[in-house]
Amino acid sequence: MILAINMIKLKDMSINSNMFSKKNRVLLSELVKTDFKLRYQGSVLGYLWALIKPLLMFAILYVVFAKVLRFGGDIPHYPVYLLVGTVIWNFFTECAQQGIHAIEQRGDLLRKINFPKYIVVVSATSTAVINVLINLCVVIVFALINGVTPSLSWLLVPLSLAELYALALGISLLLGAINVKFRDIGNIWDVITQALFYAVPIIYPISMVSQTSTFTAKIILMNPIAQAIQDIRYNMITTTTETTWGFVGVQWGLLSVAIVIAILVISILYFRKKSKHFAEEV
Amino acid sequence: MKWSDKYLKKMETEAAKEAIAESIAIKVTNLHKSFKLPTERAWGLKQAIFNRIKGVKGYKKQEVLRGISFEVKKGEFLGIVGRNGSGKSTLLKTLSQIYTPDSGSVIVNGSLVPFIELGVGFNPELTGRENVYLNGALLGFSNAEMDDMYEEIVKFAELEQFMDQKLKNYSSGMQVRLAFSIAIRAKGDILILDEVLAVGDAAFQEKCNNYFKSLHGNQTVILVTHDMGNVSRFCDRAILIENGKIACEGKPEKVTEAYMKLWS
Repeated sequence: MILAINMIKLKDMSINSNMFSKKNRVLLSELVKTDFKLRYQGSVLGYLWALIKPLLMFAILYVVFAKVLRFGGDIPHYPVYLLVGTVIWNFFTECAQQGIHAIEQRGDLLRKINFPKYIVVVSATSTAVINVLINLCVVIVFALINGVTPSLSWLLVPLSLAELYALALGISLLLGAINVKFRDIGNIWDVITQALFYAVPIIYPISMVSQTSTFTAKIILMNPIAQAIQDIRYNMITTTTETTWGFVGVQWGLLSVAIVIAILVISILYFRKKSKHFAEEV
Repeated sequence: MKWSDKYLKKMETEAAKEAIAESIAIKVTNLHKSFKLPTERAWGLKQAIFNRIKGVKGYKKQEVLRGISFEVKKGEFLGIVGRNGSGKSTLLKTLSQIYTPDSGSVIVNGSLVPFIELGVGFNPELTGRENVYLNGALLGFSNAEMDDMYEEIVKFAELEQFMDQKLKNYSSGMQVRLAFSIAIRAKGDILILDEVLAVGDAAFQEKCNNYFKSLHGNQTVILVTHDMGNVSRFCDRAILIENGKIACEGKPEKVTEAYMKLWS
């Protein structure tokens, strides 16, 4: 009896929700291709915008925070340090932003064809993934020009990126599923993003905070986004920067990773439960 | 419902699937589907919270399908008719697993290709070729399968010279022809078509009609239509749906007659 139940469960999974089934992979890659093709459609510079935009944003931040306000302090390679921060932050917000609205925006498809709904969310976040990979190439060029020595610790960067992607995907699935019914979520998230931008040490070095209050600095670093960004900076640019592991403690660093995993798991379960009714609610 | 009950129910469906005869393509048993329609402005968080506090439900339950059962044999051409709002499209969407039924079961024997609307996912900024592949992926075909069908689709649509043009430069007739060709050239065991027959000019119509006749007996088709001419021309059997129930079932002539009587 129990064996039979298990068998059905397995069979059921292999038919409906195997994310790696051929059918689903084809659909995902078609949607990703389409999204990417359409993104810079009709602009003269086309794909180049994926490079130019973050560079221009960086130029603004650089002038304001490194030259005018002189936030850099004693951090070596501060311009590149700043660039990494903005590139990674943009990756996270773009992922979440696109992911949350994915179901709502692809409502026309969901109402007419049956396919696993997570595909829409993953494909919406994929452009951000492609962008961050391109941007990291730019970062590497800048880093080398700026005199950063390449090291083996660069290989740890993808781990932090994966962590941030997991967080962004979790948030997208959870808030995206709620957003189907309550469109307020999109607006609420915009405000949260703005708040997070200041709560994460992107434009200011964490040392500025720890000078006035070590406690606040610790709280700031326990945010998984801050943890990931600081890790990437530490592994890629300079070891003279605070990380969650060194500044707050290894157990707290692990907690921050655990929070990400918990958010992702809860979101997947919630999304799976709700996705059955997206077609009629969206 | 307890989880154990859920799995028992699933097992029953599974058992029924195995019991289904080889000659049956679709078996629908006692299908129920209802929608929660928001009554006033129940859209948004504020209203939802107010409703919760006031104890107002915020929605009205509308039963659209109330116990529908039927079978479609392999190779059969089934017509579904009924007036607007009778539940035809909801039935098709439930068959296509776009909607989850409240109760009852749908068992599908083979691959099912639904065309609730033509050209789902078509994007004006993509070329004709890109749109065909995108549409195909949405319908569940791999690139290799689409490669096999591509030539035929383009030929049937008579759009050979236009496939590398963006869809926005097509006339509306050309767009529909392309979408329709994908629909009828799609190689699935069961084809579901919702009100999509009146396409193109007279010559293209004629071609479609002939093609449909040639499908007869080889392809399982479920067709929703308001055109009784199509019912008698193509269908082996028809079903009339009224108020979410089957009001009449059988030979096309009989069902057509019952359909006409709805207004007399």
